[in-house]
Amino acid sequence: MKSRNHNEILITGMGITSAIGQGKKEFISALLDGRHAFDVMKRAGRQRPMILKQAEGNLTSRTEFLGAEIPFFRIPEKFTKRALRNASLSDKIALATLHEAWNEAKLDNLEPERIGLIVGGSNFQQRALMQIHSAYYDNPHYLKPTYGISFMDSNLCGICTESFNIGGFAYTLGGSSASGLLAIIKAVQAIQAGEVDVCLAMGALMDLSYWECQGFKSLGAMGTDRYAMEPELAARPFDKDRDGFIYGESCGVLVLEKASVTKRNGVNPYARISGWAIKMDGNRYPNPSYEGQVCTIMRTLKMADLNGKQIDYINPHGTGSIIGDKIELQALRNCGLNHACINATKSITGHGLSAAGAVEVIATILQMKMGQLHPTRNLDRPIDMSFNWVCKNSLHHMIEKALNISIGFGGINTALCIERL
Amino acid sequence: MSRNKIIETIIRHTCEVIPELEGHNFSLNDSLKNLGANSVDRSEIIMMTLATLSLNIALIDTAGAKNIGELADILYEKSQS
Repeated sequence: MKSRNHNEILITGMGITSAIGQGKKEFISALLDGRHAFDVMKRAGRQRPMILKQAEGNLTSRTEFLGAEIPFFRIPEKFTKRALRNASLSDKIALATLHEAWNEAKLDNLEPERIGLIVGGSNFQQRALMQIHSAYYDNPHYLKPTYGISFMDSNLCGICTESFNIGGFAYTLGGSSASGLLAIIKAVQAIQAGEVDVCLAMGALMDLSYWECQGFKSLGAMGTDRYAMEPELAARPFDKDRDGFIYGESCGVLVLEKASVTKRNGVNPYARISGWAIKMDGNRYPNPSYEGQVCTIMRTLKMADLNGKQIDYINPHGTGSIIGDKIELQALRNCGLNHACINATKSITGHGLSAAGAVEVIATILQMKMGQLHPTRNLDRPIDMSFNWVCKNSLHHMIEKALNISIGFGGINTALCIERL
Repeated sequence: MSRNKIIETIIRHTCEVIPELEGHNFSLNDSLKNLGANSVDRSEIIMMTLATLSLNIALIDTAGAKNIGELADILYEKSQS
């Protein structure tokens, strides 16, 4: 192990809950095997119900949105029924995921005021809200008073800080699909600024209702009619036959801290963060920017004091977007990154939206630890063969320096450089 | 609607909001506050009770109740008017 700079920011704990598994062990095992959970979504509120049109006397069709849903999850016993009452799916998954990261980093005995929490995501409990609206539509005066608290995303901060006695700051941070990575970057900056010693960065579970699914589909962002009968083929980032992203439920939590703080027995840092960048395109729409992405990548490499040739693994944004995937590869090529191994985590997990950036950093670090890269599902005909794709099979590779990229609607570009210790 | 049914409903929703009270031997003199219900819990218990009993009463009208018995009396009186 190299000598450690006491100011460098280390990752000392991680928690993950996803459609392909809960906990790091299940998650990396499924990733390396390419095991997916894509299907027509079944969670209540995910498909528009059939409606009888009185005038015409016929039923509207039910939607068949595809996605990967968490089949079940374990809630640690420490969370009482009372603590979980009125908790949304996003809240419960957050608690379970935070619990894994918290315990691994052994944070129980730290000064609460020196611990912060940044929850990446906004408007992330839409399905839960829609269900409450539907339940009380005819009798709004019976609406539970706690709705006045729980409809706000910041309720998740309250639940987490209460359950874990986090006494520094806690806030939500909205950056659409870049929220998870944005939370990590802001956590690093908060530690560097001395606001806290340890900061938890969460990519919150974005709980879509059929309204958001329909919105994404109408926008042309979410696939897919093409693979409606073959859900397993639908998520195909960077493939010539892609037709949009496929949603996937997930939540990821990382514990970040300065090397000088990491002296607790039994805590073994995973990796260090050496560079990052955030760049806005000045564009409220979903279209990606080649210039914005190139600038973000180059600034990240510069901060990490690296050139493109030194990066040996890329975890791209790669959603399956027709335009987005193409622009991202152009940007990576321009930055001299064709040589690096590259795969697409979303081909297995689905797109976690607010969670994606955090989940994919965890995927990168677990691959780094295992010395193995996961396959990219459905990458039958890559749109650019000049890249070093990990296609059908996992690949042995010891990641030394990795680059993660997250892009969000509204012209948000983020990137992070992660290095082996 | 009987007063007993109102009391049963209050107790049921109190246990729902504070699961630790499951099995508690409730008395009419028990105050929700002393049972561990904070102000939000108390309003939640009362609102759930109103919804279950289909009573259209403003929460503020129940504010004077000091215990479960008094709350039941207020709801019973309103249900009869």
